[in-house]
Amino acid sequence: MTQSLTHSVRLPNGITLITTENPATDIVAARLFIRAGTRWESPQKLGLSHLLAAVMTKGTHQWTAMEIAEKVESVGASLGTDASADYFVLSLKTVTADFEPMLALAQDILCQPSLPPEQVELERQLTLQSIRAQQERPFTVAYDHLRRQMYGGHPYGTSILGTNATVSTLTSDDLKAYHQCYFRPDNLVISICGRISSAAAIALAEELFGDWRVPPSPLPSPPVVTLPAQAQVKGIVQETQQSIIMLGYPAASVEQQLDYLTLKLLNTYLGNGLSSRLFVELREKRGLAYDVSAFYPTRCDRSQFVAYIGTAPENTATAHACLQAELQRLVTTPLSDAELQMAKNKLLGQYALGKQTNAEIAQLLGWYETLGLGIGFDTDFAPAIAQITAEQLQAVAIAYFNTTPYLTVVGPAPALETIEALAASELAQ
Amino acid sequence: MHLPTTSTQQVTPSTRRTCLSNGLTLIHQSLPTTATVVVDVWVRAGTRTEPDDWPGMAHFLEHMVFKGSPDIAPGEFDWLIENRGGMTNAATSHDYAHFFITVATEHLSTVLPAFADILLNAEISELEFERERDVVIEEIYSCQDDPDWLGFQALCESVYGSSPYGRSILGTEQQIRQRSPHQMRCFHRTHYQPENMTVAVVGDIDYHRALALVSEAFCNFPVRSECPHTSVQDLPPLDQIRRTTLQLPRLEQARLTLAWLAPGIEQLDQAIALDILSVILGGGRSSRLVRELREEQQWVWDIDCEFSLQRDTSLFTINAWLEMDQLERVETTIVEHLQRLHHQGVQSGELARTQRLLTNEYAFSTETPAQIAGLYGYYQTIADATLAVEYPERIQATTPEQLQAVAQHYLSPDCYAVTTLKPM
Repeated sequence: MTQSLTHSVRLPNGITLITTENPATDIVAARLFIRAGTRWESPQKLGLSHLLAAVMTKGTHQWTAMEIAEKVESVGASLGTDASADYFVLSLKTVTADFEPMLALAQDILCQPSLPPEQVELERQLTLQSIRAQQERPFTVAYDHLRRQMYGGHPYGTSILGTNATVSTLTSDDLKAYHQCYFRPDNLVISICGRISSAAAIALAEELFGDWRVPPSPLPSPPVVTLPAQAQVKGIVQETQQSIIMLGYPAASVEQQLDYLTLKLLNTYLGNGLSSRLFVELREKRGLAYDVSAFYPTRCDRSQFVAYIGTAPENTATAHACLQAELQRLVTTPLSDAELQMAKNKLLGQYALGKQTNAEIAQLLGWYETLGLGIGFDTDFAPAIAQITAEQLQAVAIAYFNTTPYLTVVGPAPALETIEALAASELAQ
Repeated sequence: MHLPTTSTQQVTPSTRRTCLSNGLTLIHQSLPTTATVVVDVWVRAGTRTEPDDWPGMAHFLEHMVFKGSPDIAPGEFDWLIENRGGMTNAATSHDYAHFFITVATEHLSTVLPAFADILLNAEISELEFERERDVVIEEIYSCQDDPDWLGFQALCESVYGSSPYGRSILGTEQQIRQRSPHQMRCFHRTHYQPENMTVAVVGDIDYHRALALVSEAFCNFPVRSECPHTSVQDLPPLDQIRRTTLQLPRLEQARLTLAWLAPGIEQLDQAIALDILSVILGGGRSSRLVRELREEQQWVWDIDCEFSLQRDTSLFTINAWLEMDQLERVETTIVEHLQRLHHQGVQSGELARTQRLLTNEYAFSTETPAQIAGLYGYYQTIADATLAVEYPERIQATTPEQLQAVAQHYLSPDCYAVTTLKPM
């Protein structure tokens, strides 16, 4: 995909519009991003963004829930709304001929949702059930606890769904107020990719969204993450077949661009692919796991670097020691030239493979713009990664991993006892 | 240059299928704008080909292929491809095992010979076999902590009995501990032979280059061996309502699955009719079951309907997530919907909408080289790649009368398997 076919314009009412022409297939994808999401939620109303996303497609001033579903499904399009930690997005994909009417429907949903109380109630009940269902999976239980330990009361500390207590109190009026506050043209990024010319996409967006006015009130700022003072250990007893062990380190936000890119590279080295360090050492050589990896989510505010492993209960203490040793190794030992080059090649190769479909391209560019990085971040990514040195990687490892991590373990009681004792003695040191 | 081909056919104007002289099938499609190439190797060596006493073998072998050949050390192939920015992975099901790579075009000539080598000359050493056995057992443990996996496993056993599709792909821990490297080498040499394999090459590469690279890389097949017997068990007749209930720890909601056996690929038009029926019943908010049970009555947390095409016997399922006290009336309502389908059939508008939806979904799922290679490889492995191309036309050609007849024939309201998961 050549970026010369990508254009970014600002419409008079403040909407940022990104268009990418790609005539390869008869498909157009669009992503409409709003700068809202979990991060902007108050502690009493966690889950608000998710609930809004669930209800938004279920009525506008013009159409009922069933009429909307029929409009979308009768032309075989896909249209959905989703909330995330740092953004809210409406996703749309159609064959080219149906794009115009579907974008018109998207406009109606985004600008004038009716948020009917009975639909709010239905989706609220479904959300409460989803919160309960999260408890069925040991991995989710472990991550849920780790996240809460690491972020305390900040919205990043809770699943996007919210909690049983907060979701129980959310009302239709809460959704309306949230929508009114954040859904405005100067807070919207539209990204369109597919068999449509830039000129046609711009004309269409102006026709549909041009009349939307910016309200006089200023946009509120989100709260800032303040971390709990000390790392903690949390064991959760469950009679599972496997123990799940998770280590968490507070990590850079995307705004700290050099640290961010360096941590992305460390994450690739440790946890990405069949040749990654954790896969080779803990799975291939020691047979300790089927699933062992690391992840580092891109966040506007303080992120987290997480390494995890699922292992037979009797291996819990060994797997924990090995996992932590791999993080510490990054602090004490620089990567060899071959390892460094490998991590770069892998990260950049997979980055390119993540931009194959129109939907992926629309998502990536719109997302960069929403995060405040701008679409230029896409073209800057490869040269910036190429310049990172082994010394920089080690310096970042020292800055973020040379500390006692937050630790969560889910598993049978005997497996937890050993690890809790061990971790407690480490914390005491 | 002389290339040993026996026959070539156009599958579409841009897709060619060639049978090489050794019996290997090559399917090629050029997509020059992608700058990458996908090679997806499909082998008719799925769980159904396992000898009676060797459960878990096909999947375990899929793991062991990545452990290398006499010329490629464990981990070397992973390093080779990932160091060039490419990726690789594999999957095993009842009808197949398949292995795929994606690389930038300029690296294909380096990576492909190594890829073919580990597939054809898998070493399966004692040491690596024992190491990897622990990994497969960890995979089994992690699945045993997943209630939906346990439910589906119980359903397959109930529906398919001891016929091949009822067998667990992973096997059990005890079964895996009984496998030996010798058995695995025998299984590999029996099935990883050219007539059982399809190599799909899709991306930024022309036909002649693809043919030359594949012919050269896939030539040294293993010395043939012969596995012990795989007996063909008949399907247990589904002539009543067959119930299975599992009580599981940590379950926060009940599950209800109703299942029917359905025709395999040989009766593709009937399979396609069932695909359409699955969308009419449970695909999207305006479908019959979602609309009534989730949106209006609100008796389920979620409900969907799935048709899984397999070579011999496909599976049609309706899955609901719900509270315990709703189980009975939800099952009753589903059965009423089937009766309605039997008696009143499908409106032409409802059919037209579903046809459009499935045709567009087909377009959305053939956007990338990996999707296209997978589609051709799958159909060629269970029957014939040309069927993959005919899918949209066949969807369009289906009539309301056919749908009603297929529903009456296959989706009985009186004979089905039902699996229920309940909290302990």
